[in-house]
Amino acid sequence: MTLINQDTKLCDIILQEPSTITVLDRFGISLGVGDMRIDDACHERGIDVNFFTTILNTYINENYFPQTALLAFSASKIIDYLAKTNEYYEKNVIPNIERHFAFLISKTPAQNSNLVLMRQFFDEVKTELLQRIEYDRNKWFPTIALNEYKSVGKMPNAVKDVKDFNDPIEEKIDDLINMLIVHLKGDYDHNLGYAVIFAIFSLKKDIKQNNRIRNRILMPISQALTQ
Amino acid sequence: MMSDYKVIILTSDTLNAIGLRSIFEAAFGISAYIADEHYIDSFSTTKEPHLFFVDSKTLVANLGFFLPRKAKTVLLTYDHNPYDDFQTLCVGDNESDIINAINSFLTGGHDEDNSTTNSLSQREIEVLRLIASGKINKEIAQELNISINTVLTHRKNLTAKLGIKSISGLTFYAMMNGIV
Repeated sequence: MTLINQDTKLCDIILQEPSTITVLDRFGISLGVGDMRIDDACHERGIDVNFFTTILNTYINENYFPQTALLAFSASKIIDYLAKTNEYYEKNVIPNIERHFAFLISKTPAQNSNLVLMRQFFDEVKTELLQRIEYDRNKWFPTIALNEYKSVGKMPNAVKDVKDFNDPIEEKIDDLINMLIVHLKGDYDHNLGYAVIFAIFSLKKDIKQNNRIRNRILMPISQALTQ
Repeated sequence: MMSDYKVIILTSDTLNAIGLRSIFEAAFGISAYIADEHYIDSFSTTKEPHLFFVDSKTLVANLGFFLPRKAKTVLLTYDHNPYDDFQTLCVGDNESDIINAINSFLTGGHDEDNSTTNSLSQREIEVLRLIASGKINKEIAQELNISINTVLTHRKNLTAKLGIKSISGLTFYAMMNGIV
């Protein structure tokens, strides 16, 4: 998909890349977008157009990552976006996957213990993800916000150590997907099984994209702010 | 034992081929064989080599040959971009890095019997069982009386064969398959 800009229509973005629905939701935009352009939608809601298009482009195109542009945004904007992302995982994605798993298991013959084990594995991923969200909310985000407040006017330009981390949560989600796709055995309701895998895939994509923002943008900003 | 080790170099870059052959000779005492373009056509499986070094052109032209042998194929590259399917060796690296890399290919390629299939070897199943029971590499090495490096190789192969990286993923896999 080509890069979106302030003149792009919201409906065109969604039609081309439906997974952006949940990203738009984090900015308070829900379905029924009419023929509104990004510019107008942002203006109406008091959203920084630049930030909005950068986040969406980063989300849509794996290879697009305008580090300099992203590092120039205020930490509070990025925190706000990531906090909404966390909330979305907590309130929508995780319950959704659990619901699909519960359905699938309720329709699966009892002798197939495979899926029960996979659900247990997902529970582990869930616990870890919720712990991280908790830590973000109570510790990491407030600390960054406080440091940013203290250093008003002297935005850190000494940002360094920008790198990707091996995220154990992302790794486990990959494992879970592999186990479902490669190693699933026995009888199960195919349709319900596909619902589980699609739900996990969309979580994986979202986490992967947002890890890039966490690790390559917020992490270096937070380190620079404490120096 | 190393003198039995059969290494084939398939590249149209003559200098790379000769350089690689002399590193094998000098650092490992292995006489690597520089093959010509007819090598693959007249290949006979009775003397299956242990390791192939190929350039990207040869690899792409003979994917059908190399894909089933990907565990023992090393792609010669000019950069450090990782390739999903094949291990790589960057010809621009300095000598000691190249020797280290070759060393890891040599130690990594021991499980030849299983390298072309995805089923786990008996040893890999044992390692998996110990991982699943919460043992760390050092304990696994002691229990099976092997070196930590060998444990790491087994783990690498487990991950490659199963597509599962995390310890909990491996543990659940072991449970699903009655290994623990």
